[in-house]
Amino acid sequence: MIDRLNPSRKTTRMVDLLQHMGARTLGLLQEMGRMFLFLLEVLAAIPVPPYRWTLFLRQVHFIGIRSLFVIALTALFAGMVLGLQGYYTLSRFGSEAMLGPAVALSIIRELGPVLSGLMVTGRAGSALTAELGIMRIREQIDALEVMGIAPLKYLIVPRLTAGLLVLPLLTALFDVIGIWGGYLVAVRLLGLSGGTYFGGIESAVEMHDIITGLIKSFSFGVIIIWICTYQGYYTRRGAEGVSHATTSAVVMSSVLILVWDYFITSIML
Amino acid sequence: MSATLPLGEQLVANGCITARQLDLALQRQRATSADPTTSAHLVGRTLVEMGYLTQPALHECLYRQFAAERDHYLDNPAVAPVIRFERVVKILDGRRVLDAVDLAIPANRVTAIIGMSGGGKSVLLKHMVGLMKPDQGTVRVGEERLDAMSGRALRQVRGRFSLLFQGGALFDSLNVYDNVAFPLREKSQLTEEQIRGRVLRCLAEVNLIGMERKFPDELSGGMMKRAALARALVTEPEILLLDEPTAGLDPIIENAIHYLICDTFMRTRYTMVVISHAVPEIFQWCHHVIALHRGKVLYSGPSREVDASPDPVLRQFIRGELDGPIQVI
Repeated sequence: MIDRLNPSRKTTRMVDLLQHMGARTLGLLQEMGRMFLFLLEVLAAIPVPPYRWTLFLRQVHFIGIRSLFVIALTALFAGMVLGLQGYYTLSRFGSEAMLGPAVALSIIRELGPVLSGLMVTGRAGSALTAELGIMRIREQIDALEVMGIAPLKYLIVPRLTAGLLVLPLLTALFDVIGIWGGYLVAVRLLGLSGGTYFGGIESAVEMHDIITGLIKSFSFGVIIIWICTYQGYYTRRGAEGVSHATTSAVVMSSVLILVWDYFITSIML
Repeated sequence: MSATLPLGEQLVANGCITARQLDLALQRQRATSADPTTSAHLVGRTLVEMGYLTQPALHECLYRQFAAERDHYLDNPAVAPVIRFERVVKILDGRRVLDAVDLAIPANRVTAIIGMSGGGKSVLLKHMVGLMKPDQGTVRVGEERLDAMSGRALRQVRGRFSLLFQGGALFDSLNVYDNVAFPLREKSQLTEEQIRGRVLRCLAEVNLIGMERKFPDELSGGMMKRAALARALVTEPEILLLDEPTAGLDPIIENAIHYLICDTFMRTRYTMVVISHAVPEIFQWCHHVIALHRGKVLYSGPSREVDASPDPVLRQFIRGELDGPIQVI
C-alpha cells in the first residue's frame, strides 16, 4: 500500500530490477566469452607437441568403445519404432514401399547424429565433467600447472580429439543398426519384401545425405566435449559444485545439440 | 658443536658411532648407490641398516643439528631472498584476502607461515607459484616478476618449484609409483630406468617402499602426505612449498612428517615454505616465521624470537587463548 503511494520507492525498485537484469546479462555474456576463449585455446593447443597418443587412445576407448552398447541398443529400438510408425502412416496412403527410404533418410540425416550425440552426452559427457570437476576440487589440475604441464593440453586436447573421431564413427554404427532395426520390423514382422526395403534405400539415399549426417555428428562432438570439459574444468565449490557442473553440462549440451541441429539442417538442406 | 658439520661427522663427534663405522657406511653407500651425490645424504639410513645406529638416535642427531642451525639463524636483510612480495593485494568475493603484503622468503631456509584459518595463507602460497595473480603489487622469484608472466615463461619459473598440496593432489587413476614418476615422465628426458631409480629413492626417503602398487584411495592420510612429498621431491626442486603437511594427522604421524621435513632439508638444503597450524611445535622445525592475520603480516623474523613478539594478536594465537583481540566465540 505504502509502495503504491510512494513513487520514488517504486522507481528504486525498477532501477534495482534493471540493474539485476543487466548484471545477469553481463554475467552471461562474460561466461559465453570465457567458453569461446576456452575452445579457442584448446583448438590452438591441438597441433602443438607433445602428442600424447596413449591419453588419446584411452579417451577413444572411454568415449567410443564404452558407448557402443548404449548406441547399438538405442539405434535398434529407434529403427524399430520408425519401422512401426512409418509402416502405419505410409500404409494409409498405400506407400509401404517407401518405408525403407523413410527409415534410412530419417536415421542418416537426423536421428543418427542427434540420438548418438545425446547418448554420448549422457554416458560419456557427464562422466568427463565429473572427472574433471573432481580433479579441479582436489587440486589435481593445479598440481599439473605447478609441475609446468599445460592442463588444457594434457586433459582437454585428448578428450576433444577423441570425441571428434569417435562421434562420426558411432553415428555411422547407429545408422547401420537403426536401418537394420527398421528392417526387422518392416520385413520380419510386418511382411514387407526385403528387396523393396533395401532397394528403396539404395535408390533414395545419396552420398550428400551421409555426409550431412557425418558433418552433424562431428559438430555435435565438438559441442559435447567443449561444454562438458568446460563445465568440469571450471568447477567450483566442492562436491555440490561437481553435481551442479555435471547437470549443467548435460542440459546445456543436449539443448545446444538440438538448437545447433536446426541451424545446421537449415544450412545444409 | 658446529651446525655445519656433515651428518656423519657429527654422529662421530657425538659419540653415536665410531669413525671406522662411518667409513664402512660410506664405502657401502658408494658401492650400492648409482648416484654418487646421494652417498653423503643417505649415510644416516645406511648406518641404521648396518646396525651401527638406531632410528631414534638418527632422528635425535638430525634434530640437534637442525636446532643448532636454527638457533644461529638471524634474519639477515643482506641475504637476497628467493621470493619477495611487494604491496600485494588480493581481493576474493569482495574480501581483501591479502592486504598490502610485504614479505621476503629467505633462500635455503625453512620458513613457516602461520595464522588463523581463512587468513590468506594458502592464497599466499598460490601467489608464489603463479596459480593466482595479485590485484595489486608484485611477486618476485629471484629477480623475475612472476605476476607479469604467463604461458611458457611461467611454466619455466614453475620448474624451480614443487608444491605439496593440502590434500596431496595425487592422481586417482595412478598408483603411488606412477604418481611419483609422473612429473619426471612428463617433464624430463630421463630414461625409464633412471626414473625408476629416482622414484624408488624418493619412496625410500619417505618410507613408502612396498606401497608402490597402491592407489591413493588405499592409502591412509599420513601415507598420502608422504607419497605427495615424494612426488614433490622427485623433481629435485629449488623451492619446496608445503601446504599444511600435517593437517588432519595424529600427533605421531605429525611428528614423523616434521622429522621428514627436517631430514629432507638437511639433505637437500632446498628453500622450504611450510604452512602450518601446528603452533608452537612448528617453531622447532623452521628458521623463519611469517604470521598472517586478516591478510596482513603481523610478524616476519627468526622462529626463536616469535615468542617474544609484543603483538597481542600473535601472542593470543600462539598461546591459543580465547581472551584477546581475536574474538572467535
